Amino acid sequence: MIMAKNISDFLLEINVEELPAGYVRPALDKLKNAFVERLSRERIGHGDISVFGTAGALICYIKDMSLKQEELSQEISGPPKKIAFDENDNPTPQGIGFAKNQGVDIKDLKIKQMPKGEYVFIVKKIKSKPAKEILRSLIPEIVKSIGFPKTMKWDDSGMRFARPIESIAVLLDKENIKIKLGSAPAKFIKSTSAGAYLKKLEKSYILDQDKRKSEIYNMIKSIQKKLGMDEYVDKNLLEETNFLVKSPVLMIGDFDKKYLAIPKDVLTASMSKHQRIFTLSKNNKLVNKFIAVIDGKGRNIAKMKKQYANILEARLKDSLFFYNEDIKNPLSDQTPKLKDLIFQKDLGNMFEKIQRLEELSSFISERINIDAAKREDIRKAAYLCKSDLVTQMVGEFPSLQGVMGMEYALKSGEKKSVAIAIKEHYLPKGMDDDLPETIEGAILAISDRIDNIAGLLGSGIEPKGSFDPFGIRRNSHGLIQIIKHKGFRINLTGLIDKAIELYNSRVGFKTLPYKSAPEELRKKVINYIKERLEFLAPDTMPIELKQAVLKSDCNDIVGVFKRVEALSEISAEKYFLKAAKVCERTSNILKGAKGENIGAVNESLLKEDLEKEVWKAYSANSETIKNLIKEERYKEATKAYGETFFEALHRFFDNVLVNAEDSALRGNRLAMMQAINKLYTNDVADLAMLPQIVV
Amino acid sequence: MKKLTFQEVIEKLNKFWSDRECLIVEPIDTEVGAGTFHPATFFQSLGKKRWRAAYVQPSRRPCDGRYADNPLRLQHYYQYQVIIKPTVPDIRKIYLDSLKALGIDLKAHEARFVEDDWESPTLGASGLGWEVWLDSLEITQFTYFQQVAGIELDLVPCEITYGLERICMFIQEKFNLFDLEWHNGVTYGDIHKQHEIEYSKYNFEEASIEMYSKMFEYFEKEAKRLVDKGLVYPAYSFVLKASHAFNVLDARGAISQNERPRYIARVRGLAKRCAEVYLKTQTTLHFNNVKM
Repeated sequence: MIMAKNISDFLLEINVEELPAGYVRPALDKLKNAFVERLSRERIGHGDISVFGTAGALICYIKDMSLKQEELSQEISGPPKKIAFDENDNPTPQGIGFAKNQGVDIKDLKIKQMPKGEYVFIVKKIKSKPAKEILRSLIPEIVKSIGFPKTMKWDDSGMRFARPIESIAVLLDKENIKIKLGSAPAKFIKSTSAGAYLKKLEKSYILDQDKRKSEIYNMIKSIQKKLGMDEYVDKNLLEETNFLVKSPVLMIGDFDKKYLAIPKDVLTASMSKHQRIFTLSKNNKLVNKFIAVIDGKGRNIAKMKKQYANILEARLKDSLFFYNEDIKNPLSDQTPKLKDLIFQKDLGNMFEKIQRLEELSSFISERINIDAAKREDIRKAAYLCKSDLVTQMVGEFPSLQGVMGMEYALKSGEKKSVAIAIKEHYLPKGMDDDLPETIEGAILAISDRIDNIAGLLGSGIEPKGSFDPFGIRRNSHGLIQIIKHKGFRINLTGLIDKAIELYNSRVGFKTLPYKSAPEELRKKVINYIKERLEFLAPDTMPIELKQAVLKSDCNDIVGVFKRVEALSEISAEKYFLKAAKVCERTSNILKGAKGENIGAVNESLLKEDLEKEVWKAYSANSETIKNLIKEERYKEATKAYGETFFEALHRFFDNVLVNAEDSALRGNRLAMMQAINKLYTNDVADLAMLPQIVV
Repeated sequence: MKKLTFQEVIEKLNKFWSDRECLIVEPIDTEVGAGTFHPATFFQSLGKKRWRAAYVQPSRRPCDGRYADNPLRLQHYYQYQVIIKPTVPDIRKIYLDSLKALGIDLKAHEARFVEDDWESPTLGASGLGWEVWLDSLEITQFTYFQQVAGIELDLVPCEITYGLERICMFIQEKFNLFDLEWHNGVTYGDIHKQHEIEYSKYNFEEASIEMYSKMFEYFEKEAKRLVDKGLVYPAYSFVLKASHAFNVLDARGAISQNERPRYIARVRGLAKRCAEVYLKTQTTLHFNNVKM
């Protein structure tokens, strides 16, 4: 017996004009997921799905795809049995009508026991369509779903993609399936199966991106080994290169030794960022050689090598010229030139900025007890940290700010810690960038950020939606990360006030809105920082808990993180819920008395036994609880708080009316509630903000 | 094959693109930063009319002057600009053919398309495309325009901008552009070296900041006045002059990092006005006899 073939291998090839290297891998992931999801939706069975990609082609290969959709039967229920059939089991007009509407025979009606009685139903078989037919509409949908950071149009078909699509090939076994996608022509693959076609592609270049990548990696490593160089392969450049070539061939070239005088970061930027070639180093020092990965065999390697080297040297010639000009004088000679460089419109020049940074960094140093010698280094670093902005090298390559400052500081004989602080004060540059490691760098980085935030907000600049061109959010984010990373216990309000005061006493906010209202500005700054705090605490922690903590004192950023962490660990404990309930009940009562002047508790006004009991509990335990909080033993503090007040308050609320008619009694009871509430919510978290507290 | 001179490269490209239905037009007679500023690209990219043109455009970038000291950089250089509107599906193959027509062996050498999304903030123009590298030497900017003057385009044009000096360096195997043979043994340096040295000095040291600052204001005012009267071409020529005045001020270091965006926005605003008026009035008047 000959079995009809019911599965085949499938292949989709999207040929596209060179995609940006960074787009290929995410596109392949999306392509694969889109197939998995949609084939299951369409009930088309399949085996392994593999995706392959180069800049010029995205390929999806699927083993053992069913040639037909899986059958599906669906139950459709109709009227109750007693309406569809009479007592003699003959169909009524309603029964006949239902069968007719569903296009079935009366004898196909079935009966089923439902909760409300017996009902008529039918089983409808949904016809399975051939996979080929489904794929015709599915593939355009899948291709359009890929999505890229930037897309374009290239004709009037309305199709958008990262680059123009050249053609599309779809093979199900040996059959070409024609797909309509914008104006992209179908590529017809002649008399070969999907599997055989894939093999053919594999022979002409390295199809599999991971295989290609490891091959490039291994080739580079083996050259490094052979030449006795450090074994180091730039990961980002490797990933990019992998999608610039299909059949990698390596080429080693060299350049004039004199260019090694240029600092490593500058050389590396020229080579790996601008020319996409790999640097080589020995004992961590660059040598005058490079590795270029080119595409395809049979090239004129001798001429290409010369070409690569000449282009590199032309670029380095510029850098060396700038470098030599810049090191003619010590870095500190550049600093006064900052007077000609505007920091921000209305916020004075860069020289004034570094003066503020000197003061801010010594303010922070004092607060966290940095020793005198280090303080002097930090001050020096503050004085020099922006000086590279007026050097020729940074003028030409702005991305080297900080790095050049460090290099030039070292050349000028500054201490290493000063030089590193200059570089580190720009960190973190983005959301996931490295943080400053040295204390000097961290303090300077904090100073720079708080100065930016206060100044920008003070001059009326604010982020709008996702538009934050001056990086106020990025600055706030960085500020928090650094303080957390270094564990600096520093009072945020104090720091903000210092930053505002420096603007007001120096350049002054002159005509700016906050000249006369520094408290308003302080509030604004704190709000931006708090917004980032909420964002920075780990996602795994419930948002309400973060908000509860942020409602309490946030002046100590390190403490905020400690509290969020401690509370989220115990948030399922009974005592935690009790503490939350105490916060909630006291808070509700106080909400009702909003606007009233609530003073201190007067013991002589305590009348009922139950209120005396509550106050006794307060008097006996509040010191212990305060101390636990002070010692940052938040779990124990929460436990003590919940257990001290929960039961006592419960009885109290059940039997004593807080809002007594006698206003003295009432005031006193409110005062007691406030004392209990604040004992915890001031410095730990306002747990009343948690939803549905059930003990 | 004999190595082409600078002059012959231009001739070959003219022939090549002329054979592919391009009008060979002449450069604009005002200082511009790139071939894109030529009305044959800026205005012709707008609207629904088919258009194909190619031309040499002498271009000026005052900041790029190096006193003739750098083998790759000049403040005055030549672009070869091709504009094909709408683009055609095999445009990249045609482009590679043009390199072959210049005698470049693309089997022995690698032409690589490296992502580069081009943008001209002063013209409000942007597109997606590549830098084309020939053995890591950038020889061409290849762009599918999406917007010009901030206006989403009806027909997507393909702009191909060859760096003529770069291509000649490759062909002639010279690694200093001043050594390129212009023709008959005369070098690029013979023609341009002194020009480069003097202009570098002028742009960086001598140009009067006061004069250019005032000129920028005058040009801006004149452009505004003219565009309001519907005199699009004269208005646009003052936009170009303002743009160049800005570039000179920039080279002189007279524009701070924070002022730059403001200047650029002013020029862009003017260019946009010109484009809008052009679309309203000129598309019906312009090149009506051109059948392409």
